[in-house]
Amino acid sequence: MPTKDDARHIKRRTFIKALGATSVVAGSIFQPIRSSAGFLASPVTTNTLRPPGAVSEKYFASKCIRCGRCVEVCPYKCIRPLDIHSGIFAGTPLIHVVDIPCYLCMKCVDVCPTGTLRPISQEETRMGLAVIDKHACMTWNQELALCRTCYNVCPFKEKAIKLDALRPVIIEEYCTGCGLCVHGCPVTQKDGKKAINVEPIYAFKEKGAR
Amino acid sequence: MGKKVKKYTPLRLLTLTLAFLLILITPYLNLHLHINFIQGWFQSLSIGHLWFVSPLEGLESILTSRDVYGPLLVGMLIPVLLAITLGRVFCSWVCPISFLSEVTDRIILLFSRKRFRSSGLGITRKTLWFALIGEIIFALILGAPIFVFLSPPGLVGREIMMLTLFGSLALEGLIVIIVLLMHIFSKRLFCRNFCPLGGLLSLLGIKRRLMVVPDLEACLECGMCKKSCPLSLDPQRGESLSPYCWNCGSCIESCKASALKFKWKDI
Repeated sequence: MPTKDDARHIKRRTFIKALGATSVVAGSIFQPIRSSAGFLASPVTTNTLRPPGAVSEKYFASKCIRCGRCVEVCPYKCIRPLDIHSGIFAGTPLIHVVDIPCYLCMKCVDVCPTGTLRPISQEETRMGLAVIDKHACMTWNQELALCRTCYNVCPFKEKAIKLDALRPVIIEEYCTGCGLCVHGCPVTQKDGKKAINVEPIYAFKEKGAR
Repeated sequence: MGKKVKKYTPLRLLTLTLAFLLILITPYLNLHLHINFIQGWFQSLSIGHLWFVSPLEGLESILTSRDVYGPLLVGMLIPVLLAITLGRVFCSWVCPISFLSEVTDRIILLFSRKRFRSSGLGITRKTLWFALIGEIIFALILGAPIFVFLSPPGLVGREIMMLTLFGSLALEGLIVIIVLLMHIFSKRLFCRNFCPLGGLLSLLGIKRRLMVVPDLEACLECGMCKKSCPLSLDPQRGESLSPYCWNCGSCIESCKASALKFKWKDI
C-alpha cells in the first residue's frame, strides 16, 4: 500500500523523466531556419524576397500578425516563415527564389487577413527586378552562346524578357521579380548568386500603400 | 437535491478535440490535397469565405501599423462578439493549449491517484491584466506585433503546420513545452496568470451574459467547486462572476448540491 509520500516520490521521478525525454525530443526536432538579418534589420536582400503584393518593408513587421496562412496556402512551399532568430521580423514570410521561386499562383495574396499582402494580379506583382550579371552570364560573356534558360522559363516572355542578338535583356517595366529565371539559371557564382538575380528594389519604398 | 447535474465536460472535451483535429489536419489538406476550404489556425482561420482573426493579433496589428484594414476588422468581429456575450469561452472550449493541458492532466492521472491537483503557486490573478498591457506596450515600443508570434494558442497551430510542410519544428515551439511544464508545476499557471489573449478575452467578457451563478441557499460549502476549477476560482464565493471565469462548467458538475448553474443574465 503506497503512502501519500510514496505517491509524491513516484510523481517527481516521472516528472524528471518526462522532462528529460522532452528535452531530448526537442533537441532532435527543432531546427533553426536560415535567416540572415540582425534583430532590427530587414531580412529582404538579393534573391530573398517578400511574397507578391507585400507592403513596404517599413510597415511589414508592424502589419503582419505572423499567422502563417500564406505559408500554408502556398502549393509550392516557396514561402517560409522566419523563426525567432530574425528579431522583430520573426514569423514573417520570405521566399528564397534560388531554392524555390514564386510561380505567381496568387493564392497567398487572397488569404492575408491583415492586408500585409494586398490582393493584386499576376502582372501587378513587383517582388523585385531581375538583373543580369553580364560578366557571369554564359551567353553575355560568350562562354556558351546557346543558353537562354532565363528567357525560356519567364512567365512573361517577350514582355519582361527579350532576346537581343540571342542575349537575354530584362524589360524593367514588366518584370515581376518572381525569380523563375534565377531558379533556372545554370550559373552559380562563388557567393551563391546566380548570373541573373532578383534585386528587391521596390521593397523599401517610403511612400505608397501601407 | 436529486436533480440530475448537467455534464459539460464530455461536450467540452469533444469540442477541444475537434478544434485540435481541425488544426492538425488542415495543413495536410492544404499541402497534399490542395483543399483550401479550411485554412489557418487560431491566429487567423478561414472556413470557406468565413474569416476569423484573433482579437489580440488584430488589435496589435492595428496599433503597431497605425492603419486599419477593413477585412481585418470584419474578421475580428465574431470572436469579439463571442467574448462579449459568452466571456472567455475560447480558452476553455477551443484553445489547443487547453486541449494539450487536458491531455497532460489525463496522463498525470495515470501515474498519480490524486484527482485534484493543488493550484500550487498562489500568484494574484491580476497579473493577467499586466500581461495584456505589458504585451501591447512592448509591441508598440518595438513597432511590431512580435508577441502574438510567440502566443501559445497560435503557436501550436503554426508548429503543426511547420511540421507538416517542412518536416521540422521552429525553435519558438519550445514555448508550448514550457507552458505545459508550467501547467504540470501549477494548474494552468500560464492561462491563469500570463496569457495576454486570455487577458483580452477576459476584458471583453467583463459584462458577459452567460455566467456560472451560485445558489447560496443550496450550497453545502464543501469546497468541491474550488478544487475542480482549473483556474482555482472559488465559485461558492461568487468568483465565477468575476471576469476571470472562462465558463468551462467543471464546477457545475462537481457540485453535489446542484447549487451552481449556467445562467443567462438579462440585459
